[in-house]
Amino acid sequence: MPIAECKHATTSLSGEAMTRIVDAYCVPNEEPGNGEGVPRLLALMDRAGIDHAVIAPDDREIAVANVEGNRRMERLSKNYPDRFIPACTINPWYGEAACRELTRAREAGARLLVLCPNLQGFYIGHPTASKLIRTAGDLDLPVYVHTGSHALGAPSQLVLAAAKYPATKFVMGHCGSTDYAYDMLAILRSAPENLWFELSLVRPWVIPDYIAGGDRTRFLFGSFAPRNDPALELRHCDASLPIFEYPDVYGDNLARLIGMERA
Amino acid sequence: MIFDCHTHRFSAAGPLDRENDDRWLADLDSSGITHCVVLPYAGLWNPGMIPKENDAIATFCALRPGNLVPFFTVDPHDPRLAEAEFTRCVEQLDGEGVKIHPWLQATSVNSSAVDVVCEMAGHFGVPMLFHDGTPCFALPSQIAMLARRHPTTRFVLGHCGLLEYWREAIDALNSANNLWGCLCGPHLHAIREIIRCCDRSRLMWGSDFGFVPAPGAVYRLELLKQAAVDDGCFEMIVEENPLRLFPICEGKPTTAAERDGNGHSVPRHPTPAPKWVLGDAYVRKGPETDPVTKEGR
Repeated sequence: MPIAECKHATTSLSGEAMTRIVDAYCVPNEEPGNGEGVPRLLALMDRAGIDHAVIAPDDREIAVANVEGNRRMERLSKNYPDRFIPACTINPWYGEAACRELTRAREAGARLLVLCPNLQGFYIGHPTASKLIRTAGDLDLPVYVHTGSHALGAPSQLVLAAAKYPATKFVMGHCGSTDYAYDMLAILRSAPENLWFELSLVRPWVIPDYIAGGDRTRFLFGSFAPRNDPALELRHCDASLPIFEYPDVYGDNLARLIGMERA
Repeated sequence: MIFDCHTHRFSAAGPLDRENDDRWLADLDSSGITHCVVLPYAGLWNPGMIPKENDAIATFCALRPGNLVPFFTVDPHDPRLAEAEFTRCVEQLDGEGVKIHPWLQATSVNSSAVDVVCEMAGHFGVPMLFHDGTPCFALPSQIAMLARRHPTTRFVLGHCGLLEYWREAIDALNSANNLWGCLCGPHLHAIREIIRCCDRSRLMWGSDFGFVPAPGAVYRLELLKQAAVDDGCFEMIVEENPLRLFPICEGKPTTAAERDGNGHSVPRHPTPAPKWVLGDAYVRKGPETDPVTKEGR
C-alpha cells in the first residue's frame, strides 16, 4: 500500500475499511514536455492514494494515431494490471474500420471508448458516428465524450446523442467545464438513464450541487492527471464531497459501469 | 502580499449589503489574499444595474483603500452613455480599470462600440480586463487583435483561455506586448505552459473569488504555487506584476502627480482632447508602426 497524502489512505492504514479510489480519466505520457509518462503518473497516483485509474490515449493518439494509442494502453495495462484500466479511442471518420478496431480493442481489454469531438473533428450527433456508437453499445463498452467550451463539446449535444442511442452508455467527460456549468443543473434534472457524469476539471466546490441535482450513482471521480495533480484534486474534492460518505462517486460507480470486480 | 486580479463583488447568496460585505472580506482574509481587483457582476448581466453597481463597488473598495482595487463596467451598446459612465467612474469614483464580459454583455470585441471603450481606457490610463476563453465573443485571439488595434491601452485576459483555449492564450499574449494575462481558470499543466512560454512580467493571478467560494480561491492559489516553482516566479505573479499595473496599491503608492490633495487618484493621462469618436463612423489614428510587427501601417 503506497503512503499517500490523502486522509482516506491514512485512515486505511489504521485499520478502518478502506475506500477504493478509482480515477476515471488519466493520460500517461500525454504530450512532449509534459513529464516522464508512466512512472510520473504512478507516482502521482501513489501520492494521492488512488488505487486504479482508467488510462486513455494522449491528444496525438486521439487525433491521428488511434491504433498506436490503443495498443499502448493495452500494453501499459498488462504491465500494471493492478493499477491501470485501458480505454481506447477511434475516430468515427474511419467508418467500418473504426468499428473493426473497436471490436479488436474491446477483445484486448478496453473498458471505455474515448471520443473527443473537438480533436477528432466531428459532431457527436453526426451520422458518421452512428455506427461506431451503436457498436460500442453492442459491445457493452461505455462511450466517454469530452465536453467543454469548444463548439463541439456542449453537454446538451451529448444529452441529445444519449437519447438517440439508448442502448449505448455514455460518460460526459468534465461536465462541460467551465462555461457550460450553467447548463448542468438543467441537464442533470433531465438526463437520460444511459448517461454518466465524469468530474475531472469540474470545480471541486460545485460538485455537491451537481450531486444534489442528479442521481449520485451516475457520478464518477476523475483527476485528468497529469494535467492536474490528483492529490490536490482529491484533497479539494474530499473537502467538498467527503470520500468516506461518497465511496460510490470516488470509485464504486465507475467499477460498476465498466464491470470491475469488487476487491 | 497575495494580489488577486480577478474577484467579483458578489456572493453565491446574492448581491452584497454591508453585513455581507464584511463576510466577503472575512472570507477573503481566510484565503490569504491581501490585495484584489474587485470586478462588477450584476452590471454584466443587466445594463440597468451598471451605475448602481459601479457606485457600490467604489464604496466597498473604500473600506480598504489601496488593498481593494475598484473596477467598473459600461454598456458598450450605448457609446454616449458609456462615455459618460466611464468618465464618471474614473474621475469621481477613482475607478482603476474597466471589465468587459463580451458574451454576458452580448458584445463582439470586434465592434466599433468596444473600440470606443478601448480608446477611453487608453486615454484615462486604466487597464481593460476581459472575460476570455469562451467562443464566439471572447476568444484570446480576438482580444489580442483588439490589443493590437489599441496599442496605447493595456488589456488583461481575465482567464488566460480557461480550460480549452489556453494554448491560444499563449499565442495571444506573445502577439501583443500591451496584453497581460490573469491566470484564473486554466488547469495545472496549462498554467505551467503559460508561465514557460510567455513573458512572465505580464502574468498575474486571479481566483474569481466572490463568484467562487473561499475554498475555490485557495484551490487556485495552490495550483499557482505548484506551477510557479522557479525562483521569484510566484512573487512576480502575485505581487510585482500587479503592482506595476495597479500602482495605487500598498507598497508602491501612486505618485503625487497621480493624486489630488485628498490623496485620491486623478486621471493619469488627462490629455485634453479625447481620441475616441462617438457615432457610427469610428476611426482611430494609430501610431506610425505596428508595435508587434514593427511594420508601417
